[in-house]
Amino acid sequence: MMSERTTTDLRTLHHSALLYATPGEFADVAGQYVERARGAGEVPVVIAGGEATEALFDRLGTAGTEGVEFIDAAAWFTGPIEALGAFHEHARNDWWPRGPVRLLAEPVWTGRADRDVREWLRHEAVLNVVLAGTPTRLLCAYATSTLPTTLLRDAARTHPLLTDAGGTRDSPGYVEPARFSAECDAEPLVPPPLTAARKVFASGSLPMLREFLAYQALRHGLRDSYGFVLAVNEVATHVIREGGGHGAVWLWREGAELVCDVTDPNASPRDPFLGYFPPHAHRHAESRMWAVRRLCTLVEIRATRPGTRTRLRVRVP
Amino acid sequence: MAAARRGDRPVGAVRLGEHLCLGFGSEEERRAVVGRFVADGLDAGHKVVYLAQDDEPGAVLDALGGDALRRAEENGQFVVRPIVRAYVATDRFDPAETAALLGTEVDLATLQGYGGVRLTGDTAFSLLGWPNEQDGPGGVCRTAFAAPGERAVVLCPYDRRWFTDEQMTILRAGHDAAVRADDLYADRVLRISPTFTPPGLALTGAVDESTLPAVLDALARYAGRPGHFCLDLSGLEFCDLDGLRALLGAGEAGTRPDRQVVLRGLPEPLRAMARLAGWDTIGTALREEPAR
Repeated sequence: MMSERTTTDLRTLHHSALLYATPGEFADVAGQYVERARGAGEVPVVIAGGEATEALFDRLGTAGTEGVEFIDAAAWFTGPIEALGAFHEHARNDWWPRGPVRLLAEPVWTGRADRDVREWLRHEAVLNVVLAGTPTRLLCAYATSTLPTTLLRDAARTHPLLTDAGGTRDSPGYVEPARFSAECDAEPLVPPPLTAARKVFASGSLPMLREFLAYQALRHGLRDSYGFVLAVNEVATHVIREGGGHGAVWLWREGAELVCDVTDPNASPRDPFLGYFPPHAHRHAESRMWAVRRLCTLVEIRATRPGTRTRLRVRVP
Repeated sequence: MAAARRGDRPVGAVRLGEHLCLGFGSEEERRAVVGRFVADGLDAGHKVVYLAQDDEPGAVLDALGGDALRRAEENGQFVVRPIVRAYVATDRFDPAETAALLGTEVDLATLQGYGGVRLTGDTAFSLLGWPNEQDGPGGVCRTAFAAPGERAVVLCPYDRRWFTDEQMTILRAGHDAAVRADDLYADRVLRISPTFTPPGLALTGAVDESTLPAVLDALARYAGRPGHFCLDLSGLEFCDLDGLRALLGAGEAGTRPDRQVVLRGLPEPLRAMARLAGWDTIGTALREEPAR
């Protein structure tokens, strides 16, 4: 019988990595995990790919999967902030009112660029902070047979718990989320290409900046640029109000994405989780960065010498 | 019903030599615009002639209010003339005679040393003869005041609740320009204008880092007013998150039990932003759903 670690500290998130070698092992452990929801009065949710979902169906049968909400992983894990936003919307409106959430997730790794893998790992680390204290239990499945060793090592570093057929135990390699996030930031941003369009801004010049952004966005194929312009405008506003008072933007196209750098001559105080917490009515800076992150596919904030560089990416449909 | 239009001139920007109209939708709007026209005239050293329905200046002074106006009435800079005398001294309206009367007022004011004459009044003066005029409403005004001369400016108020949009268009066309209340704020980025039906503010342009202080200032000025209050946002092309937060929270400062702030015409991208920022529930302002 698998034992489950019971945490007495409600502020620690029950967030475990299931490192499985075979589909059978996955079905055993994940099946048990989902089954436990029934007796505990929890809300079982499975966000997984087709194969994993099928394996669970085979193991649990029609009766065993009754009341279990299945969500397609590919549709869910589109971007870290999108996924986090979707989680909060579902949890607040539907799951938490019915009981604690027991979530089984199979993150998507195949076909991801290095940068995206890094951000999804950061996402795993951030969850420990953002969801701490909420009635949430997470089990994230990692296939040891197909995923690279470095990724598996980072899974153990971003999950405070590890689960296998033998049970759940503390993850010895777990590192503090802030430290993991700082490691993610150690990789420098590639400088903008020489062809990037550039414009400086300061107080009073944001109308011109927005005109420039909308024009450049259109030139790069982004027709509905309201969200993009808004996001850059917010970062620029932050630079004017809280940062060095003036800055510059660089804008270019990279594959299917429009990329925009916003520089601030001042180093902003670094809160590694800024914009990851869902907005709270009276925390302005958080609401702003949350919205900015939601408006973009990826937002990277890096300390530069001197100052701060914020890189925003949006998809060009 | 057509309210103030974008092309309309703020009443603070009128010049001598013009024949202007105001289509007002409420007595409060008439008082605000005519009151400003009169006050600006007094400040500029013009003589102000007010054509009133009654012979009694007290009613006019009460309606427009202000100590400066009372002092001006006492020293003769502000004069109230009954419409009846101005128009129909001979029991029959004669445009030529009325024009001549205006000319006399101007000559007199010039002799008295005033730099110009401002003529306005109760709505009845510009409507005399309607609806019996052959060429639509405002014919009197067109014939009597169309050319006030270099030293006079005429403002004709029309109660637009009496007219169709088409008639209002004809009325406007009979004047050099239509005027509206002065903006609370206007620069190349944002314009904040008062509205009267319903009472409130209309925002046109963009709310951002540079124009937010003007928005906060305007909201604060209106915060203590009694009664419901409408923020018309249909002309808002851009609004950043701080601005959106301020608009959603409008009415929280100085909230009164008898007061509801209504956000009208919140553009769809801003609605989406409010959802993204998690602000579906902040603020006490009532968000009108767009008509479908």
